[in-house]
Amino acid sequence: MEKDGRPNWDSPMQFVLACVSYAVGLGNVWRFPYLCQLHGGGGFLIPYLIMLLLEGLPLFYMELAIGQKMRLGSIRAWTSISPYLGGLGLASLVTSMYLCLYYNVIIAWSFWYLFHSFQSVLPWSVCPINSNRTGPTEECDVATPTQYFFYRETLNISPSIEENGGIHTGQALCLVLAWAITYLFIVRGVKSTGKVVYFTATFPYLVLFIYLIRGVTLHGAINGLKYMFTPKMAELANPRAWINAATQIFFSLGLGFGSLIAFASYNQYNNNFQNQAIVVSLINSGTSIFASIVTFAIYGFKATLNYENCLDRMRILLLNTFDLAEDAISMDSVLEWTEKLNTTYPEQFAQIADKVREGECNLEKELDTAVEGTGLAFIVYSEAIKNMPLPQLWSVLYFFMLLLLGMGSMLGNVTAIITPLRDFKIMSRMSNELFSGLVCVFCLLLGLGFTTTSGNYWFTIFNDYAASFSLLFIVLIEVVAVSYIYGIKRFEKDIEDMLGHRPNWYLKIMWAVTSPLLLIGLFIFFIINYIQGGAPTYQAWNKELGASVVTEYPVFGQVFIALLLVSSISCVPLTALYAFCRKRKDRAYENRPSVVSTVSL
Amino acid sequence: MLEKILLLLSLSFSVAEELCKPGVGEAYKVRFSIKTALGDQAYPWNKNEMFLFRAALAFAMRDYTNGEEFGVSDVHPCNETPRVSFWFVVTRPNNTELVDKGTVEMAIKKSRNRINGAFLLTDQTLEFDGIYPTLAAPVSPDTPPWLIVFGVVMGAVSVGIIALLVYPLVQRKLKKNMDADDEDSDEETGVKTAENGANDGIYNSTFSDDERFTQM
Repeated sequence: MEKDGRPNWDSPMQFVLACVSYAVGLGNVWRFPYLCQLHGGGGFLIPYLIMLLLEGLPLFYMELAIGQKMRLGSIRAWTSISPYLGGLGLASLVTSMYLCLYYNVIIAWSFWYLFHSFQSVLPWSVCPINSNRTGPTEECDVATPTQYFFYRETLNISPSIEENGGIHTGQALCLVLAWAITYLFIVRGVKSTGKVVYFTATFPYLVLFIYLIRGVTLHGAINGLKYMFTPKMAELANPRAWINAATQIFFSLGLGFGSLIAFASYNQYNNNFQNQAIVVSLINSGTSIFASIVTFAIYGFKATLNYENCLDRMRILLLNTFDLAEDAISMDSVLEWTEKLNTTYPEQFAQIADKVREGECNLEKELDTAVEGTGLAFIVYSEAIKNMPLPQLWSVLYFFMLLLLGMGSMLGNVTAIITPLRDFKIMSRMSNELFSGLVCVFCLLLGLGFTTTSGNYWFTIFNDYAASFSLLFIVLIEVVAVSYIYGIKRFEKDIEDMLGHRPNWYLKIMWAVTSPLLLIGLFIFFIINYIQGGAPTYQAWNKELGASVVTEYPVFGQVFIALLLVSSISCVPLTALYAFCRKRKDRAYENRPSVVSTVSL
Repeated sequence: MLEKILLLLSLSFSVAEELCKPGVGEAYKVRFSIKTALGDQAYPWNKNEMFLFRAALAFAMRDYTNGEEFGVSDVHPCNETPRVSFWFVVTRPNNTELVDKGTVEMAIKKSRNRINGAFLLTDQTLEFDGIYPTLAAPVSPDTPPWLIVFGVVMGAVSVGIIALLVYPLVQRKLKKNMDADDEDSDEETGVKTAENGANDGIYNSTFSDDERFTQM
């Protein structure tokens, strides 16, 4: 216990692990490999590392400094910096709340898949049989078994956001479990969180390492790795690559949610957060690169497998149409045989010409299918896993890792909600356990909306809009406030007070000039993108086609998106206005003639 | 006599050839994928295997029609290819009347496993063009297995939560009992030691001299 009664981390190591556990999340696994593939493989690392130095590290450092100095949650910390800035903390709180609502649904899905891995045949590897027992169900036939399992059995998804059904009980149960575990980990505040992060921060690395060994020894993995590491330097000229690098670093470090301020507020006053900031940012980026090596090995395996299956199908088609002996055509000679048969038996070949054209086998095309997000994690990866030997083991390991990554980030976000609220006297009268429990139950009840049949579409709304735009705004105001309203000189002195030395001139330039400019640039880009992009769209699952169809959001969807954005951003000006009005009222009260001020005596 | 026998034989051959026409009438195509199924252990296709096929099919027809005495000679194959695929027709015993496609299909469906077993093949490697295999009924256990694992994990988490909530209450009760005993023995001294006091007091930060840089 520190002298002002605030709980503490048991050791600086716990704080570092908590930050690592928070920063290293699902985005490192499912967003970074996608961006790497989109922007020319190895070449993407250049803008990524540059952005880390220009914007990631300075902003991370700044948030840790604020938290450790003020020793308060985000709302009161910003109020201490300037009374008009309390809204920043409130905006962070609202954004964290939105994130908590939908993020735990991903953990619920991971639980669902994890529990379903304990079967002799993985349920997403085979299609269920239709009622006539003549073949697979229609929907599964048109799509793949892994897609069917995700969209039909896991989500029971409706054809569009307008149509809604009931709650999926299995999902609801898994969500209850997810919140129960979250409560278990935060019930004692940093005392319990501090112990849990030893596990949630380290175990995913063990799994990634095991997967790395398994991945690179898979047949065809080398194709994926070659694809990733051949840099396409021309992509560096594309501004989108730089913008995506900047946004990825920004969101990956979890800036602006108030979690870093909350975590740092439980530090000892003289904790050396400078080294810790550098270590955590480097670990975060390193993990992204590590995870993309694993992902590309798996991609290579899956693409090669699909390619070989395609060749095999071609081979059988040729054998059966031309009645050749079984060992006449081997996998390697399929293509030359196709040519030969086309020239020698043109009329017979014409009958199957359509099928040959449709089923054309192309390894590049298989590797080109870049997927991100839940599609990568739950569909592509499960498909790769079902083809590995001993799939149950790999499935359990993989989904357990997803669970830990997600849970680590959740701990940070729930702490970001609880810490600032507990700073207020009204809330601190309640016991710690009761307050945390209420927050968890509240989020659980609202989160049940995501387990309905149209829940995945609402999830996508939250995923795309709840945290992206508002965070940019929040962090922009943060860095401008610290650099110009609070003043770089005062900030410098505070850091010297805590660490014993002033921050590097490099950091000062970043805070005052580069980062604000970068953030303004990103902000403008987002706005332009939104205006130019027309009506926002989403991917609706069409069960007749067995594929996702791009659909426009209905009016209530667009209104909801606007509400999400406005509700968090408007906290800043509204709170400033409120503080201004309070000050005016207080000043008016002070100037009342009937009150004799003792100061004048 | 010899000429009559020769005439009859040639007639029966020509009849067989006429009966079995690929793609026409009551003929079915069958395809064997022996090398795919058995790899190194594949047996070569020859006249004996063909005989086994005709015998298996005759058995299937007998089994389905409940005793009509089909024989090996009632199954007429033709158009054998190196793929190991050929067409065949089935005639009624003792005459040349063709058995209709529907009956043949039902007979094969009924005895599919036996025919597959005779050749060490499966539904996918011994294909009858146009006859789809009936898939095995899915095995659905009473409790889905995922629910069992869920129950275990949920139970463990609930126990953990209850333990964490109840533990400090229990600790406090034990401490109170211990304090009550201590107070009985310390009543003479009546002085509250500094340790006990510091836990209940509020630290007044005004008197802390922790500030290294005091404001002048």
